[in-house]
Amino acid sequence: MSLIQTHRPKRTLMAVGLAILMGGTAFSGAVAPAWAQEMTDVGTPRAETLIVDMLNARVGNPTNMNMYQQGVTTNHGYHQMAGALLYDIDTAKGSQIPDLAAEMPIPNADFTVFTVPLRQGLTWSDGEAFTADDVIFTDQMLRNTPALGYSAAYAAQIASMTKVDDHTVEITTTKPTPRLSIVLGSVIYGNPFHVVPQHVWEGQDPATFPNFPPVSISAYKYKDHDPNGTWFLWEKREDWQNSDVGQIVGEPKPQYVLFRSYGTEERRVLAMASNEIDILTDISPESLDILRNQNDKVRGWFTDFPYANLDDPCERGMHFNTSKAPYDDARTRWALALAINAEQASIATFSGMMRASPLAMPPTTVLMDTYHQPMAQWLSEFALEDGYKPFDPDYAVRLGERLRSEGVENIPEDPEALRELLGVGWWKHDPAQATKLLLDVGFTNDGGVWKKPDGTPFTINILAPADFEVQSQRLAFAVANEWTQFGIPAQVQQMQAGAFFTAENTGDYEVGSYWGMSCGIVPDPFVRMEGWHKDYVRENGTPASSNQGRYVDDELSALIDKLRTIPADDPQIVPLGTDILKELVEGLPAIEMFGTSKFVPVNETYWTNYPSADNYYEGPWWWWSNFKFIAAKLEPAAAQ
Amino acid sequence: MHLLRYIAGRLVVYALVIVFALTVLFFVPRLGPTDPVEAMLAKVASQGAYMDPAQVDKLRQSLIDTFGLGGSLWEQYGAFVNRIIFSADFGPSLSMYPTPVMELIWNALPWTFGLLLSSTLIAWVLGNFVGLLSGWRPNSNSSRVMEGIAICLYPIPYYILALVLSILFSYVWKIFPLTTTIRGAPWSWELVSSIVWNSFLPAMSIVIVVFGWWVISVKAQTTALKEEEFARYARLKGLSDGRILTRYILPNALLPQITFLALQIGLMFNGSLITEILFDYPGLGLLIYTAVLQGDFNLLMGTISLSVIAVATATMIIDLIYPLLDPRIRHR
Repeated sequence: MSLIQTHRPKRTLMAVGLAILMGGTAFSGAVAPAWAQEMTDVGTPRAETLIVDMLNARVGNPTNMNMYQQGVTTNHGYHQMAGALLYDIDTAKGSQIPDLAAEMPIPNADFTVFTVPLRQGLTWSDGEAFTADDVIFTDQMLRNTPALGYSAAYAAQIASMTKVDDHTVEITTTKPTPRLSIVLGSVIYGNPFHVVPQHVWEGQDPATFPNFPPVSISAYKYKDHDPNGTWFLWEKREDWQNSDVGQIVGEPKPQYVLFRSYGTEERRVLAMASNEIDILTDISPESLDILRNQNDKVRGWFTDFPYANLDDPCERGMHFNTSKAPYDDARTRWALALAINAEQASIATFSGMMRASPLAMPPTTVLMDTYHQPMAQWLSEFALEDGYKPFDPDYAVRLGERLRSEGVENIPEDPEALRELLGVGWWKHDPAQATKLLLDVGFTNDGGVWKKPDGTPFTINILAPADFEVQSQRLAFAVANEWTQFGIPAQVQQMQAGAFFTAENTGDYEVGSYWGMSCGIVPDPFVRMEGWHKDYVRENGTPASSNQGRYVDDELSALIDKLRTIPADDPQIVPLGTDILKELVEGLPAIEMFGTSKFVPVNETYWTNYPSADNYYEGPWWWWSNFKFIAAKLEPAAAQ
Repeated sequence: MHLLRYIAGRLVVYALVIVFALTVLFFVPRLGPTDPVEAMLAKVASQGAYMDPAQVDKLRQSLIDTFGLGGSLWEQYGAFVNRIIFSADFGPSLSMYPTPVMELIWNALPWTFGLLLSSTLIAWVLGNFVGLLSGWRPNSNSSRVMEGIAICLYPIPYYILALVLSILFSYVWKIFPLTTTIRGAPWSWELVSSIVWNSFLPAMSIVIVVFGWWVISVKAQTTALKEEEFARYARLKGLSDGRILTRYILPNALLPQITFLALQIGLMFNGSLITEILFDYPGLGLLIYTAVLQGDFNLLMGTISLSVIAVATATMIIDLIYPLLDPRIRHR
């Protein structure tokens, strides 16, 4: 269902209302923990229980934990605490790490055959040893069960797996695959390839087997759940030493990890304010503000402005369907970029708490060092066809001054520190140059009304998420306002998730507040960036699995072809990634705008040593498969 | 003979309504902007799990086959009718594949039914009682107070009321839980008390807002009825107030209230969407909401069909028992 709205989302209003209502409750004294006797409502000692917000709210089919069945959700704790992948991600370093594997895959010369040593001394939660037989069984099961959605996708990439010895397998791919660890391991969130215990799954039909209660391989095992799917309880294994976490990090301190859903954002905020939950997934900046005022044990990623974590692996911006006029001309796209006042858009979206990105690569800490900072000089010298230099390196300095003048505290004075915090720069706000570019393309301005080259009025409809991905949602309204002020009437069409992504994949849009291929977390830009290849362009109406903007650029595709042939640790990766980013700046198939700011607060009443900006051992990705490594580093607050 | 013709007519209308509704329910979601396969793929992609585009193409085809969305619209319709008629099966949920739709509905139904049946009946009984007394003795102090409360409560937006109740009773005074946590073995007292405890706040929120409407509507009816000729005649006959109220006013005032109550009970199969979302209550409303968001055709058809059948059945039952309640229909 789509709704056309032109007003700001209601979330801000509700947050203000919640703040007023809760403001009068400061006397409640609800935040004092009673350490010794306090129990959770699922019957575990509160001081021994880490309580985590469930990403996808309530689970409709809680007794199905078959991770290979489409529609089965496992991010109620299985994915984060009980499962393990061959390779996982260290988001602080921006590199993959071996998890069930003992080391990274060892390839042959043409990247078609790999030796994969497996970690030794691991056991499943029922005591059975983890061996190469489990890996081989999983391979055969996937290959021989076409009813599983992942089966065909898997077989298209992996030709075979054979056992070398009890702790080594050899993997053959269907084509040269320089990045096998990405195909079978996590870079962002997780990976569909999960090794299953042969002794449990053998003889079962994998297409219908519910895998419940699950036998786990990591440090926690299933304990209990709510039949209505609102909570799932995981308990530390007695033999945690025999798990990946036990070997890599050591003993996790929480005896129990409870994943639970509190429903709406208002209730989640109430739960954290009253110490009923320790870790929240995404909330709005207004809600974080309320929480900080209500409970001094709650904090964001930064203790001061901008509070949010700025290292999300996907950035946000305005994406075009470049197969549709007038967005098929790069000059039109550049004109629209120069018609945006980015400072204004940043303040309107998240009160300036975002890091700007002129590149199709998110401005995370690692990627700022790899691409953004090193390319700043090139960006300053970059010129459009008519010689105009669009880059504004002082964006962060001006935004910093503005925020300071508005009373925001702890804004750095040093320009370099500001650029590090708010971005290396963005495109100039230059309505005159935007006008010139539009006139060059053939647009006309008749008494303040812009008309397209075909003579019809130029209006813009921005497709945006409705009540999910709040940053993209708000950004759409902010940009619509900028374009309207420039003279092009723009409106926002909000859609719920199913309809929103259907429109994106089938090309049923002209401009969308999307993120598409603008993702990355490691210096190797292959994941997602490869999606810009022209091979993936489909007719409008036919779903595209990548390159949903239908962007055809032969030079870009040739660079991606080169990228496909070299492994992630090749010294040519960064130079090649840089060339790809330059090509995307020139063609500007999407106006990249800001890294995603994640407001993911934690409550230090019961647990401490959460990762943070000043304790950056991991990113705050509570819903990813590597959360188990974070949980293992938390310390009980009572001990301090 | 008249009565038989009346009953047969209602049964034919009942069957036609259901056939028409099921057909509409099949086609309308498919004309909408959401493709369940694309929604499922987006769910995979938005969680970041990497698959190269060629693998995604394979997965897309696999999902189309699995979900039974391959053939033409008419072929799909034929299979749908076949399934519904011969096995009352709405197939698997597409968003929670492969869990059968009927299993999801049966899990959610007792929650919705328990919450809405109890809160609707409590509000109906209380509202009608207060409304009847207010209409009969409009100038008494108690009537004015009760009517005042009803008028104050009725226009409060439900969302605000529910939020205020949550903050007061789950945060300031921690009496009721913030989220639904059911404990206890099946059929145990612990389970029953846990359900009642967890349902109390959502039920109270419904009673408070619905109660006002019943009061206002019954009061208006009572005020009008007591000036009707048959009521005046009863007074002139010297009958007591109690007898006039219970034998003359009440039966006439209740007729439309019973009709509306039946429709309300039928509509319970829609769940109470806002209540269930606000209180994270595991009922049918949340299922329908999930189905709409995810383009889950099967779940949407299952849940809405149930609602259509329930409303049509409730209406038919009311039509059939009306002759028992209203002699004007019996003797027409």
